Amino acid sequence: MTVPMGDPAAPVVDPAEAWAGEQEPARKPEEPSLSAGEWLSKNLFSSAVNSVLTGVFTLLVLLAVRGLLNFTFSEERTWRAVKTNMRFLFTHAYPQDQYIRIWVCVGAIAVLSGLSVGLLARTGAGISMKKLSMNLMGMGGVIGLGILLREPSAVVDSEGLVVHREAAAVGDSFVDWLDTNALAVLGVLVLANVALAVWFHLQGTYLRDGPEPRLAHGVLVLASVGVLIVQQYATGEIARESFVDAMADRAWWWLGAVVLAGSGAALWFGLGDSRRRNTFVPAMHVFFAAAGIMVLSAWAYPWGHYAFLEGEFISEPGRTVAMTTKLPWTVMWALLVGTFLLGRALSTAPAARRLRVPLNLLWVMAPFVLYWAVLRDPDLDWDHVLSTDIPMAVFFAVLGGLVVWYLTHPRIGEAGRIMAVVLVGVAVLNWVAAYFGWYPMLQKARISFLLLAVVALLAHNFAGDRSQRLRLVVAWVAIMAVFHWLVTLVNSPSTVETPTDALIGGFGITLIVAVFTLLAAFPLGVLLALARTSKLPIFRVLSTAYIEVFRGVPLITLLFFFTLIFNLFLPSNMSLTDIAGATIGFALFSAAYLAENVRGGLQAVRQGQYEASDAVGLTTVQRTLFVVLPQALRVSIPPLVGQVIATFKETSLLAVVGIFDFLRIADKVISAQSEFLGVKREGLLFASFIYWIFAYNMSKHSQRLEKRLGVGER
Amino acid sequence: MSNTDQTTLAATQSGRPPFYRDATVVKWLAQVFTLLLVVFALFFLTTQALENLNRQGIEIKYDFLGIGLGSDLREGIDTDPDTAGRALWAGAVNTIRIAVGGIIAATILGVLVGVGRLSSNWIVSRMCSVFIETARNIPLLVQIVFIWALVATLPDVELDSGPINGVLHLSNKGVSVPRVHIDDGFYQWLIFLGAGWLVGSFVKRRQERRHDATGQDTYPVASLVAVLAVFGAVGWFAHPIFGWVGSIFDFIGDGYSRLTPVIVQVVLSLAAVTAAAWWIRRFLARRRTPAGLMKLTDDDKFRIIFAGVGALAVIAFVLVGWPGLSSWIINSGTDLLGVIADKFGDGRTGKPMDIKAPDVEQIGNFPNPGPAGLNLTQGGTAVFFGVVLYTASFIAEIVRGGILAVPKGQTEAGLAVGLRRVTMLRRVVLPQAFRVILPPLGNQYLNLTKNTSLAIAVGYSDFVQVGQIVYNQTGKTLEVISLWMLFYLACSLTISVIVNFFNVRMKIVER
Repeated sequence: MTVPMGDPAAPVVDPAEAWAGEQEPARKPEEPSLSAGEWLSKNLFSSAVNSVLTGVFTLLVLLAVRGLLNFTFSEERTWRAVKTNMRFLFTHAYPQDQYIRIWVCVGAIAVLSGLSVGLLARTGAGISMKKLSMNLMGMGGVIGLGILLREPSAVVDSEGLVVHREAAAVGDSFVDWLDTNALAVLGVLVLANVALAVWFHLQGTYLRDGPEPRLAHGVLVLASVGVLIVQQYATGEIARESFVDAMADRAWWWLGAVVLAGSGAALWFGLGDSRRRNTFVPAMHVFFAAAGIMVLSAWAYPWGHYAFLEGEFISEPGRTVAMTTKLPWTVMWALLVGTFLLGRALSTAPAARRLRVPLNLLWVMAPFVLYWAVLRDPDLDWDHVLSTDIPMAVFFAVLGGLVVWYLTHPRIGEAGRIMAVVLVGVAVLNWVAAYFGWYPMLQKARISFLLLAVVALLAHNFAGDRSQRLRLVVAWVAIMAVFHWLVTLVNSPSTVETPTDALIGGFGITLIVAVFTLLAAFPLGVLLALARTSKLPIFRVLSTAYIEVFRGVPLITLLFFFTLIFNLFLPSNMSLTDIAGATIGFALFSAAYLAENVRGGLQAVRQGQYEASDAVGLTTVQRTLFVVLPQALRVSIPPLVGQVIATFKETSLLAVVGIFDFLRIADKVISAQSEFLGVKREGLLFASFIYWIFAYNMSKHSQRLEKRLGVGER
Repeated sequence: MSNTDQTTLAATQSGRPPFYRDATVVKWLAQVFTLLLVVFALFFLTTQALENLNRQGIEIKYDFLGIGLGSDLREGIDTDPDTAGRALWAGAVNTIRIAVGGIIAATILGVLVGVGRLSSNWIVSRMCSVFIETARNIPLLVQIVFIWALVATLPDVELDSGPINGVLHLSNKGVSVPRVHIDDGFYQWLIFLGAGWLVGSFVKRRQERRHDATGQDTYPVASLVAVLAVFGAVGWFAHPIFGWVGSIFDFIGDGYSRLTPVIVQVVLSLAAVTAAAWWIRRFLARRRTPAGLMKLTDDDKFRIIFAGVGALAVIAFVLVGWPGLSSWIINSGTDLLGVIADKFGDGRTGKPMDIKAPDVEQIGNFPNPGPAGLNLTQGGTAVFFGVVLYTASFIAEIVRGGILAVPKGQTEAGLAVGLRRVTMLRRVVLPQAFRVILPPLGNQYLNLTKNTSLAIAVGYSDFVQVGQIVYNQTGKTLEVISLWMLFYLACSLTISVIVNFFNVRMKIVER
């Protein structure tokens, strides 16, 4: 029997694989193209109720947008705090002279992403020119509206202080009257809108679909927009710019809005209706172009500035983040695009499908290698490595290789079972000896024996011809090499010296904890789900108890348990750092939720699949690994991605247990710096934005996946 | 096929395989081995912890609950608690308060946004989806901390401040709204309401039967509400006539306090045995077919053994594990009955409920929200709005999914038989959507309750934050963490029970 030795984790680590073989769903018939007037009557003024809702909600939207803009661009905001602390926010105190290591990590992820997307992702039809140009015009329009809505900047004197008007200078022009009575004026406009709606409704005009309602309502809605804009230019206590000055101040924004809207309009009018609809650009190309423009802009214009001279580990005085990172980011962009194009070129080759497994394995390996080998730069003790580590690795590789080769023989019979049982006995004996202190042994030797015992127990499920057995032997040797190498790295001290306890903080630790949490939680979750759906009662009771308890308590109490007192539960010669403890807490918590998601998938596997597996004589392990789990995981991909997002968001709880993660730096650290005392809202808004970008993109991705897998269709 | 193969095949078919390949044996061996492994791991960790604690001279004891606490709480039923236990109680009440208020507010907002997202009005549906995508993709903790920082930008509290003085006060000290509170005669008024409910249900059932028989509009629900309103209105003034109810509870409490621990122990043990026996009987009855008892699987036998072992464990716990339990039950039961007797007792002539407007009081130079209104401090406001916005975005998606899950044919059929749109929604779409919505909604309520524990980041005195104060002062970290977990497990269990109750009811409606 030949069964491919795939990693069961692969579909989730890189969902690209799971859907790559999917059929593209048939495209929906295109909706007829509406003119602007028709679109308005259909979507905004289709009935009396809708017209009123449109009026009220436009007002609410504009108020919210205006509030956000005024909050963000207010002269009270010290965005310099965020710009200056950018490096701090993302990597905390990682030393600057070692920063190349960070870029190596980012580069490795860029290369892997580019290759994966290029090789495996289906391009689909892409974005139609119509949609692209509408989006461009929309973006330009929104920026333009934002420029108009924002309040005029305060006038500042030569020392940078806000100028206050004397009470006598506060005027009482029409604008001031409008400002004081804005609420009443807006209320009158809304009421007028209601009255109009009732009038048109009684006339039956909405049914005739004539232009009158949208004209009349539209004028009132535009009037309220006007009130919201004009109101901002009232002369209050603080001296503010006039309309002309304000617009001149925002000339660069205007330019951006005009360029965006203009290019959209050029696309729109340059192409005819049918070409607009039927010309497509791949979505990835649009993304790369946008990212490229952002990187380029850093070369053209130095975003941000450093004015403060202390705290050299945060930044080099006189240089901006954009100045110091524009070259690395350009390299990253080039790596991403280059590997994407390479992957795209390779994807048509017949051998491309065989690249999937190594690529997925690289994804699984990457976090370990990048964290322990690249970021930590371990100081290897070469004497020990040569005298102990390498011989031990070779010993286990050879011994295990022989065992695997022997036990996967299809006609091994009883001898194989006896050998497996002996190996299990040895492995258990090693741990019992560790408890009673009978004989010393390196921990990694114990773990290697245990791995070998597990492999020996399962080996007969993978029996096959010579090439199959050879592949398994190679896999075992590779696993041993990587395992022993990693253990050696983990045991070597880091040469990267940081002024804090932790190696890295900020957004870096957020990502690292999230990734390791998921890597640990996923296998545990799958095992728990299998146990919970199992027919064996003790497994089921244990698993159910675990899942219900861990889902029933708040994550924060688990984190406190694992960071504050878990060391009490360990032998006195062992201890966990806060970050390791927190990661365990996260992993145990996420595993319970993942298990429930996978359970849903397991229940979706038809009974016939089990019966068919039994009928062709598969063992329980074979049935689970090769028939049930692939189908179950495929169904549960969307909720699993949801859990990935949840875990990513939950890592913000690190801040509560005293780890310098992204949120803690934005919230507590920046506001405690003497230059930026009490500056909190800027950092928090920035943190929200970054979290949002990541979580939003992941959730959009999972929605696309859901559509593609047809999960929502059932 | 060779000769050897045939002999092996014959050997396997003739009888049971050797024990190490017997599926039943291997299965149970693996399970027992795993169980032993888990038990050993727990045993190992526990002994290590005890050993480490011993070395540090610390004991695991819960007597710190009776020790005085040196610090005040920011808000709650008792801001200056005498003991750590009382402080934790105040914290628990704060958690429940935020959780219940949050569940109600999040449900309302979530349903509105979820329905709004399905609106045919472009701007309404767009705004709702922007709200959902924003609120659910920013970590809750970030939102809570951000709202906390935003509340700090509100104006200072003044004697006549607040957007609506005496109704709503908004300041950097938090939010104050009118407090609706239980007054003197509330419990006796409850008796009236209970009676009204009984009579009303009777009337409702009669009206329903009349409707079924004649097809006339008989307004069953409206009559129930009317009867309740009448009883409530009468009871509002006439409630003191039930003053004698208190003496009944006095009498019961008197008898209860005469119980001895031995009797309680016997009763508890008997209850455990009876419960186990009843469960096993019911289990066997379900396994019975008309032809007789079905063959019991390993699994079934395990369950029966498990029930028996469970009963024995309860008995051992009652008699040996915690002998003080029975006297505790007697004492606290007597106390409880005494409190109830007092609540229903004579001489409660006040109004059942009352309302108090929020006020601002000036102590020295600093105006502060007074105790009259229902106050949420800066931290409380942040937690409340944080969990409400965050959970509402998830509820909105659930509601939308539930409504979309109802097939379009149902809507069309409802309209085709001549129902008005509102009636169709109420009678056809919503009952079906509700069935899909309810289970995930219960999960969200559970998440909301657990998420209130993030209050610790902004210093709202909830159960977790008070617990942190307690262990910082007493050093009893392990004990406090165990209390946290027990408390939240109890909350989760309560919510699951309530949601399951409604789930079952919905299922009956479906048939």
